[in-house]
Amino acid sequence: MINQFKNYLKEKIEITDEQFDSISADLKIKKFDKNEIVQYTGDISKHGFFVCKGLMRTYSIDSKGKEHILQFAPENWLISDRNNMNNEASIFFIDAIEVTEVVVMPNDFIEQAAIKVPCLQPMHTRLLNNSIRFMQKRINMLLSATAEERYLDFIKLYPNLTLRVPQWMIASYLGITPESLSRVRKELANKHFRP
Amino acid sequence: METNIREVEHVLKAPAPHMVGDGFRVHNFFPSGYEIDMSPFFLMDYGSKIEFSARKEPRGVGIHPHRGFETVTIAYHGAVAHHDSAGNSGIIYPGDVQWMTAASGILHKEYHEEAYSLAGGAFQMVQLWVNLPAKDKMSKPKYQAIKQADMSKYILPNDGGHIEIIAGNYNDVKGTASTFTPIELYNARLNQGAKISFNFNSKFNTGFMMIEGSIKINDSVIANQDTFTHFKNKGEHIEIEALENSVVLILSGEPIHEPIVQYGPFLMNTDEEINQAISDYNQGKFGYIEE
Repeated sequence: MINQFKNYLKEKIEITDEQFDSISADLKIKKFDKNEIVQYTGDISKHGFFVCKGLMRTYSIDSKGKEHILQFAPENWLISDRNNMNNEASIFFIDAIEVTEVVVMPNDFIEQAAIKVPCLQPMHTRLLNNSIRFMQKRINMLLSATAEERYLDFIKLYPNLTLRVPQWMIASYLGITPESLSRVRKELANKHFRP
Repeated sequence: METNIREVEHVLKAPAPHMVGDGFRVHNFFPSGYEIDMSPFFLMDYGSKIEFSARKEPRGVGIHPHRGFETVTIAYHGAVAHHDSAGNSGIIYPGDVQWMTAASGILHKEYHEEAYSLAGGAFQMVQLWVNLPAKDKMSKPKYQAIKQADMSKYILPNDGGHIEIIAGNYNDVKGTASTFTPIELYNARLNQGAKISFNFNSKFNTGFMMIEGSIKINDSVIANQDTFTHFKNKGEHIEIEALENSVVLILSGEPIHEPIVQYGPFLMNTDEEINQAISDYNQGKFGYIEE
């Protein structure tokens, strides 16, 4: 499992096995059950997760009890509540949708590791940029895009999740009702299905 | 004659069950339960006999796609209803077999049939995934709904029971279903004391699923209910004797020697074909069904 994280880093930066060994002592492997809640709102967690196998999500629950999914994290995604970086309480729940194996990363992992392996710092900046770009696009989608546009963007980003999560979770992520998602899928089928 | 006996490799116990949706409690004998080569049979889920309580809202498994293979559903107890995105629907009753060629793509759902669900009761099924050769993977989907009354049968002498030939050929009785590659698939319904024999090409992967009762194989190995007997690929001749009234699902097929890439409900030859299947599914090319 730890090798998967090593390979993930190797795809992004020049890092030798020896360098990786010098920073990996602070990393732990953990396994979560299906539907296990890993982090609650109000928690101040000292770590985030790199998903090796399985699927996780961050979400909030509103005053009416409705869930709103912020992010899915399948294999090779990072997932955390960034409030914890400032030692503030989580505003999201994190749970495992499938049986999931993760690398547990302390919140200051990159900071500390970059002392030993300096090229981690520019990589980290690139990842943060990507993440902000992703968030900007996601906010814009939620403000301005039609249900169909949101769905088409979703299947580009997460092609196989339509086979892994129930419809209501996809609708929750897209900020539309399950009925609207059904309508979108029905209209697409009407356009493309040739029995 | 003796040298031509096809020997038993293993008598395998049913692995721990898991739920498919909320309606199908199945033991997967392969590919996850045991690493055995049963090609062209890619998967066998065995729903051992259990009692479901009566329920108004039928249990089942929701909408899902398939591409690249066939599903063969064999009902022993209980009844299953299905609907697909091309508008087909039907009910599989005990003794019936549904041979569904998903091939280029089907989107369907499978549920306990309404009247059965309302009454509850015993439920026992087998579902096989039969692989298709590359040249047929994208052929047109089709169904062969084989009712018990229409099933080809070979009657055994001396009140020994009978053999239902779902596919293939047993003692010149031709099976009801047509297949893409050579496959023998029978339900042997045997009375206690019945003795029968089979001859299968030694290259054909062969196994017996014990649905009910107990049999003695080649006068040496005993197979009890809920076990799967996997044979060696050597020799052809198999003899069995029913130690009690028994039902045996008999599988034998010519292996398909092609690369397999599976992702969830898709069974293709390459990663690219899998990605294409996922994309086609997302784009609605498998159609649409209401929840």
